Amino acid sequence: MIRTMSLWATMAVLALGTLSFDVQPQTDPGDKLLGVWEPSNGRARVKIDRIGNKYYGRIVWLIEPNDPETGEAKTDKNNPDPALQNVPLKGYRMLKDFVYQEEDGTWTEGTIYDPLNGSTYSCVIKMTDENTLDIRGYIGVQALGRTDVWKRLVIPGRR
Amino acid sequence: MNRAGTIFEAKSVESNLLAMTKNRLLQACAMAGVALTLWGCAGSGDTANYEATDLAVVLAGPLFEGPNQGQTQFTFSLASALGEAFEPGMKVRDARIQSAEVLPGDSLGFAHVRSFVLSFASDNPDASMVEAGFKNPLPAGVNRVDLDVAPNVELGPHMAAGEVYVVLDADLDEDYWDGDRRFLLNLELNITY
Repeated sequence: MIRTMSLWATMAVLALGTLSFDVQPQTDPGDKLLGVWEPSNGRARVKIDRIGNKYYGRIVWLIEPNDPETGEAKTDKNNPDPALQNVPLKGYRMLKDFVYQEEDGTWTEGTIYDPLNGSTYSCVIKMTDENTLDIRGYIGVQALGRTDVWKRLVIPGRR
Repeated sequence: MNRAGTIFEAKSVESNLLAMTKNRLLQACAMAGVALTLWGCAGSGDTANYEATDLAVVLAGPLFEGPNQGQTQFTFSLASALGEAFEPGMKVRDARIQSAEVLPGDSLGFAHVRSFVLSFASDNPDASMVEAGFKNPLPAGVNRVDLDVAPNVELGPHMAAGEVYVVLDADLDEDYWDGDRRFLLNLELNITY
């Protein structure tokens, strides 16, 4: 009798263990985009965060943070809205509104902003491996665009 | 002969240009007519002030020198905002920011904050995140900061979405490893419905 109860107790513990394992929080597959990335020219670093169900990338580092003419921190001086031309460039969200598409594993519906000319382009992001992104900016149709390869900034000892 | 031909061609080009100009004028008039009709259908719209106050913004540490993201959210309902004045079928047509005020949310105040940038976002697939205010640089020794707002930025699609994400980026002049930074945000918006 005692042996039977012990068996049932063991099974119950195992079952509970399995249950508790199953209720681990699931991460969204689109969240693999989160992190700090560096465009191919190496002149900036962009941190991608998630707000609601969309992904955004803001400039967190610039190789040349100050305007060589003024010596002051660079601002978004080419912004088409004059009221926003004094917004600091470091911190600016140059990637906006990306939505993860489960079907093909891309992030679409977003835009990329070029602070050098104040223009915003449609954009699609494709992850070619866990540390490499193809960022394709385009106007109108994807075929008429340009792709830049971004690399994940890997901090030693951390993933 | 050549000269006559040139004059003829010149006249022909001139008449073509006149015809094109007339066509363009007619097209412009037609488009203006359509635009006026749409405006007439839309009506001038009523406006209401809406305030979202004491929004707690948390910048989760550890924080690093440079821009750090803080986030909060609020739920907007036109029916709740208008109260008894609300009628079925009314919806948000436009929203503009009137003012944005940042207050300290902890004992650190605004220490080591170089600038603030305020942005709005939502899950509305047709609405893009927009910057709506900033202060750069922060004045020294203040205990509240009135952001410079961009009244031309349209926030209507975000307000219409209901759940509005408010992002406050703080640019810090040094790392802060000892915990979070907290701020309070008061917003005033003008809603057209």
